[in-house]
Amino acid sequence: MYKKTGILILALTAATVSLAGKLKVVTTTSDLASITEAVAGDLAKVNSICSGSQDPHHLQARPKYVMMARSADLWIRTGMELEIGWEMPVIDGSRNRKIRPGQPGHLDASVNIHKLEIPDASMLTRAMGDVHASGNPHYLTDPENAKHVADDIAARLAQLDPKNAETYKANAKAFSDKIDEKMAGWKQKMEPLNGKSIVTYHKSWIYFCERFGINIAIELEPKPGVPPSPTHLTQVIQTMEADDIQIILQEPWYSTKAAERVAEKTGARIIEAPIFSGSDPEAQDYISLIDLIVKRLTEQPE
Amino acid sequence: MKHLNSTAMVLAGTLLTFNASAQDDTTPVPTLNDSTAAQRAFNPSVSAIIDMFYYKENSDEGLSHMKEEMPGFAAHAHGDEDDHGHDHEHGYENGFNIRHIELAFAAEVDNYFKALAIAAIDEEGAEMEEAWAETTGLPYGFQAKAGKFFSNFGYINAQHAHEWDFTDQPLIYEQTLGSHGLNDVGVQVSWLAPTPVYLLFGAEVFRGENEKMWTQEEADELPENDNPRLGVGWVKLAPFHFDNSELQFGLFGASGNQQEIHEEGGGTNYFDGVHWFAGADAVYKYDSGKAYGQGDLEFQAEYFYRNKDLDQEGGDEEVSGAQDGYYIQGTYGIFPRWRTGLRWEQIGLTNEETEEDVTEEFGDSWRASAMVDFRPSEFSQVRFQVSNGDYDLGDEGVENVWEAFVQLTFSLGAHGAHKF
Repeated sequence: MYKKTGILILALTAATVSLAGKLKVVTTTSDLASITEAVAGDLAKVNSICSGSQDPHHLQARPKYVMMARSADLWIRTGMELEIGWEMPVIDGSRNRKIRPGQPGHLDASVNIHKLEIPDASMLTRAMGDVHASGNPHYLTDPENAKHVADDIAARLAQLDPKNAETYKANAKAFSDKIDEKMAGWKQKMEPLNGKSIVTYHKSWIYFCERFGINIAIELEPKPGVPPSPTHLTQVIQTMEADDIQIILQEPWYSTKAAERVAEKTGARIIEAPIFSGSDPEAQDYISLIDLIVKRLTEQPE
Repeated sequence: MKHLNSTAMVLAGTLLTFNASAQDDTTPVPTLNDSTAAQRAFNPSVSAIIDMFYYKENSDEGLSHMKEEMPGFAAHAHGDEDDHGHDHEHGYENGFNIRHIELAFAAEVDNYFKALAIAAIDEEGAEMEEAWAETTGLPYGFQAKAGKFFSNFGYINAQHAHEWDFTDQPLIYEQTLGSHGLNDVGVQVSWLAPTPVYLLFGAEVFRGENEKMWTQEEADELPENDNPRLGVGWVKLAPFHFDNSELQFGLFGASGNQQEIHEEGGGTNYFDGVHWFAGADAVYKYDSGKAYGQGDLEFQAEYFYRNKDLDQEGGDEEVSGAQDGYYIQGTYGIFPRWRTGLRWEQIGLTNEETEEDVTEEFGDSWRASAMVDFRPSEFSQVRFQVSNGDYDLGDEGVENVWEAFVQLTFSLGAHGAHKF
């Protein structure tokens, strides 16, 4: 009985292995998937756990994700605790030892980026809201960070698939060159906003704003992860009136009610921009995502 | 049964060894570990759960006492009821109640195992809630676990009290497995089948020590059954790959040895035999994509049937019985951070006991509950719950009882990740 089951298991496993011609990469977010696709080209099959329209803070470890992780050769995460609520149950559930933290098949994309808002550990308490101990994890809104991430992904893919190492390196270089080329245009378009202040809903745009010289005066959330309260919105309105702030920037998954209330008082524009690729038809990959964010921020109201 | 148990133990041991050898060949790559990045590097992550509630019910004799008297579900009156080692009262008191503090330590043990230890501390003392290690490197979709843990059968059994969507557990669980559910010392082997849909099989072997089922008696007339005396099997299937929702079905069964001593008509009879249960569960979760849980929807339901078949030692009498029950519940995110939920449950639709060829049929009971909860953050929660039910007390008739809860839950320390 056991012998027969054993043979069956071996046969089934052999069947799954023989299907794998390409490297299988699973990323936690869709922007990481887009960068990986740019680096791997046709050499890997890339899937993202989080679709661009989902907030990666609040996913649940679902059987679907376990199935995606099960056959992955490489797991790439944003890191900095962004996926802390669901990553390990997915990896544990997948029983895929290749992608456990510490293995070559597990890549934390945040390792080589320049991190912002790293709280002083001695001051850190949960009373500060949903603050991440290792810093603000929304670093991919800065295209310069995407270049570092592309390099890290290329190096890791080369380690897993040495015979194509040169291709990965060349693709990462091409991706970085493309960013450099686009950056001049983005900076030019964003010039009118340079040195200005804006308001965002969540603390998710600091890397983008730092890159383009924009100051974030205040967030609609009183603390990260805490929805806007009337008292706090009054403070937002005062800040916006004092600094003559014209823009409220937020992700599509947040309700616009709070922003509308503020806009009514201040006459500011509410700009909804996706923060991940894949959710908007105009932003199917990483570079067009930045294109779209720049476009939304700079297009003039009708 | 005995043979099966020893085979399972040997199998689990072999898998543990295989797990260790399977991971030796990979070169580790330094990676930041989120859970400990800001902590001292190798300390386990530590967390504590504080869970308290105000409770009020309107029965004459006390609902927890009534639950012990419900025919078919009552603990067998003649034996030594407490083989749990100590007496503790799990019924809720009118007024303030505090559940034990769950002090949890979790870490990767090494390259081969991860482990969790939870001490449950209450005003009377401490007990071990969970203490287990699990493999992290078995090939072919296998995983093995050993220690004291919650059985993964069904859906709610593996959840801790603070993870439930309602303050109290479903009646069918409370009445068949007791307030701790099926939590015992043993081993578990599970296998994720290499199928295109999620298909997970699990087999568990436990000592068979439980508050309500699988009692063992001490008497010269009865055989001494060594543990493990309980086997559990389950399967979970999630057949769809929806974008924003997940539907999972499960089937489960468990079978263990039970002994009873009956005193009737001046004589004492000794019984030994099998008590088993089987059932099914279904869970559906929908993620609206909106912030702070608004619009999220969850449904879950479980059905449970148990059957007892005991033979007299040194005689030819038989004792048998069967009970069943189910619950169905749903929650919905009405506002950002606010959820509301409804639960409907019935037990004893099948409820009979046979002794000396006489079968007695007992009645059924039902309860309906409604709750609203508010989560200021992922780490705190306030819940209001009201329940109303009819409880069948046999000869004493049926009594209707209202219950109300106001519950406060606080979670300190490491940010836990929740399983599906």
